[in-house]
Amino acid sequence: MMTIPSTLDPDSLRSAGMQYVRSSRRFIDEATPSELATVLLSSLSLIAAFIGFLLVSSWTVVPFAVFLIATGYGWAKHQGLMARALTLSMTISTLVILGLIIVFIFLRAWPALQYGSAEVFGLNVPGLRMFIQTRWNAAADPIRYSMLPMIHGTVMVTIIATLVAGPLGVAAALFLSEIAPGVVRETVKPAVEILAGIPSIVYGFIGFTVLSPWASDQFDLVGQGTYLFVGIVVGLMALPTVVSVAEDALTSIPESMKSGSLALGTTDWQTMTSITLPAAFSGVSAAVLLGVGRAIGETMAATVMLRNNPTIPDPIFNVFYGYETLTSLVAANYGEATGIQMNALFVAGVILFITVLFISIGSQLIEARMEQKLGGVE
Amino acid sequence: MASDQSTGSDIVSRRKFLVASGAVGAAGVAGCTSQSDGDGTDETAGSGSTDTSMLNAEGSSTVYPISNTGSAYWNSNSPPDDGEYWGSSGESTVPGWSDLGEPDMNIADYFASLYGFEPTEERSNPPFPTSIGLSHSGTGCKAVRDGKVDIGNSSGPITAELGISESEAQEEYVDHVVGRDGQPVVVSSDVYEAGVTQLTGDQIRQIYQDEITNWSEVGGPDQEIYAVGRAEGSGTDTSFRLNMLGGADAAMPGVDTRKGQNQQVATVIEQNEGAIGYMALAFTSDAVQPIAIDFEGTVYEPDRDAENTIFDSDYPLNRDLHMYTKITEDTPDGTDMREAAFLNMFLTTFGQKLFVEDVNYIPLPTSDIQSEKDKLPEQTA
Repeated sequence: MMTIPSTLDPDSLRSAGMQYVRSSRRFIDEATPSELATVLLSSLSLIAAFIGFLLVSSWTVVPFAVFLIATGYGWAKHQGLMARALTLSMTISTLVILGLIIVFIFLRAWPALQYGSAEVFGLNVPGLRMFIQTRWNAAADPIRYSMLPMIHGTVMVTIIATLVAGPLGVAAALFLSEIAPGVVRETVKPAVEILAGIPSIVYGFIGFTVLSPWASDQFDLVGQGTYLFVGIVVGLMALPTVVSVAEDALTSIPESMKSGSLALGTTDWQTMTSITLPAAFSGVSAAVLLGVGRAIGETMAATVMLRNNPTIPDPIFNVFYGYETLTSLVAANYGEATGIQMNALFVAGVILFITVLFISIGSQLIEARMEQKLGGVE
Repeated sequence: MASDQSTGSDIVSRRKFLVASGAVGAAGVAGCTSQSDGDGTDETAGSGSTDTSMLNAEGSSTVYPISNTGSAYWNSNSPPDDGEYWGSSGESTVPGWSDLGEPDMNIADYFASLYGFEPTEERSNPPFPTSIGLSHSGTGCKAVRDGKVDIGNSSGPITAELGISESEAQEEYVDHVVGRDGQPVVVSSDVYEAGVTQLTGDQIRQIYQDEITNWSEVGGPDQEIYAVGRAEGSGTDTSFRLNMLGGADAAMPGVDTRKGQNQQVATVIEQNEGAIGYMALAFTSDAVQPIAIDFEGTVYEPDRDAENTIFDSDYPLNRDLHMYTKITEDTPDGTDMREAAFLNMFLTTFGQKLFVEDVNYIPLPTSDIQSEKDKLPEQTA
C-alpha cells in the first residue's frame, strides 16, 4: 500500500521535494564524470530512440544502438549506478507505454464518439447517442453504434458469474483454510491453482459444443447462446482465482485472534463468522473483485458462446438469450470492421478500460479502508 | 528480396532459389505489397530468347490460397515419380494425372514446355520462378495496371476495383477466372429431412428480414427458424445482403446469430434444430445440407450434374476469382508465355482439384475451363 495521505500534505510534499533536490545534488557531486557521461548518454539515447520510434524514423536504430552500447559499457564499468538508472528507465517506460495505449484507444474511439453525438439542452455531446439509443447496426440504415446492448450483456454475464464464483469460492476457501485437514489442503489448493491455468477457449469450447446445445434443447430456445450459461461458465473460470486469493487472505489471519475467540467459548463456526471472515474481509472482497474483473474481461468463452448479434433481450432480465458483451463485440468483429465500425469497437475498449479502472481503484480503496479498520497498523 | 534474383548468373542455383522463395514467402506473410523486381525485366536464368524472369503476382487474400499453392507446387518442380505433389509413385497418384497424359517431366517443366520453355529437369529449379504477394484486390489491380506485377489477383471485377468502364477493362486487361468463391444456403438436417430441400430467393429474403419466422410457412415442420448470418460488415455479409436482400445496406432483422467463420456456422447449424445459414461449400455435410434455390424461375441445384447448379457463375451468391493480366505492346493478346504457362496449370483437372477445391473454393465447371483456356495463347508443344 502506498502512503497516499501523507504525501498529499503540502508541507511534507515540499520537504520531500527539497530532500530530493539535496540528494540529487549530492549524487552529482559524488559521481565521477565518466559515470555521469555514461548514464546521461544512455538515457538521452533511449529518449532519442523513443522519439524516433514515435516519428516512425528508419534512423531509430542508431540511438537505440548507442543506448545498448552505453548501457553495456556502463554495466561493465559502473554496475551499481547503471542498475539504478536502468530500473528507473524501465519503470518510466512501463508508464509511458501504458500512457500511449490509453491515448491510442481514446484517439481511435473519437470518430465513433463524434458520429454518435447527440444534442442535450442545445449542447452537442460526443458519444451521447451511443448511450441513449439501443440500436446497433453497422450495415443497414440508419447506421447506429449503440453500446447499450453490450453494456447490458457485460452486466448480465458479470452478475451471473459473480453469483456463481462468489459464494462457491468463498465457501471453498473457508473450508480449505479453516475446516479441511492439512493433507486435503495441501493437495486441493495446488489443484485449484492449476485449474486457473486452463485457457479460456477450452471452457468456451465446452460451452459452445456441449452446454449451449443442451440448454437450447432443455429450455426450448430458438438456437443457442444464453447469458445464463455464459455467466455460469465464466463464473467457473473465475472460481480458482477467487478460491486461491480468498484462501490466502483467510490463512493470513493470526492464529492468536482465533484462539482468543475460541478461548471465550465460541464454536468453530462462530469464530469463522465473527472473527476470521470479518478480519479477512478485505482480502476476500479483493478475491471476489478479481473474479469479477475476470468475468468482465473474459473474451473467448463469451465470443464463441454468444450470438454476436447486438440486441437487448425482451424482457431485459431474460437470461436465456445471450447476444453480445463488450469484449465479444471486439473479438467477433475486429477482423471485418472498417471505418466508423472499427472506431466503435475502440469505444467498447474505452468503456472496458474505464470500468476496470474503477473496479481496481474500488478494490484498492476497500483494501485501504479495511487495513485501517482491522489491520491495527496506524 | 530482389538481390537474390538479379545476380545475373545463368542458372539460379537451387540454394539461391530456396533463399529467394523463402524471402518471398516471408514477404507474403508480412503482407508486403511492394515488388521491387516487378517489372519483369531482370534476367535470372536466361535460356535463349524466351523470357525466364520471375513471374510476379499479387492481390486479394481470397485468391491468394489458390495462386500461392499453385506457385509453391510450381517452384518445387517436383519430378513425375513424386506421387504426392506431382505424378505418380507406387503409393499415390495426384488427381487428374491421367487427364494430363502422364507426362514424364517435372511439374513446372511440363507446364512451361507447353509454351516453349526449356525444361531444367531439376527439382526446386523451375524454368522460371513464381512469386505471389499478399495484399488486397484493389492493390493487385493497381499493380497490374502500373506494370509492377505480371498477374493481379482480385476477388472483385477490375471495373469495380479501378473504377473503369467495362469496355476499358476489355481493351486493357484479360480476365482469367481460375475458380469461384460461393456461399450455398444450408439448412439443418431436421429441416432438410422434413422436406425443405428448395427455397425461392424471395423466401430466403423474407426469412432473413423476419417476415417468415416459422418453417411451416415454407412447407416445413412447425418449428421456429433459427437464422445464422456472418459477421456484420464482412465481405460475405455484404455480398449476401447485395445478392439476396436487394442491397448492400438492406436490413437483416431476422438474423439470430452472427458467426465469423465457416466452421462456426457449420457447428451452430449442426447443433441446432430449424437452422438456416450460408457458408462455403467445403463445410457442408449430412448434418448441414445445401439446398436448391429458385431464382426467378431458374432452379440452382446442389448437384454438379444438374442443368443449373449452385456452382455456376450465374448463381447469385457466387463470385468469380480473377487473375488479371495486362495487354501491352509486346503482348497484344494480353497474356505472355510465362503467364500462360502458369495460368494453364490452374485450368486442368489437376489444378482445379489441388489449388481450388482443396483450398475450399468451387472448381470451374468443364465448359468454363474450356472458355478460360481459349483466352490463353496457342500451346507450342
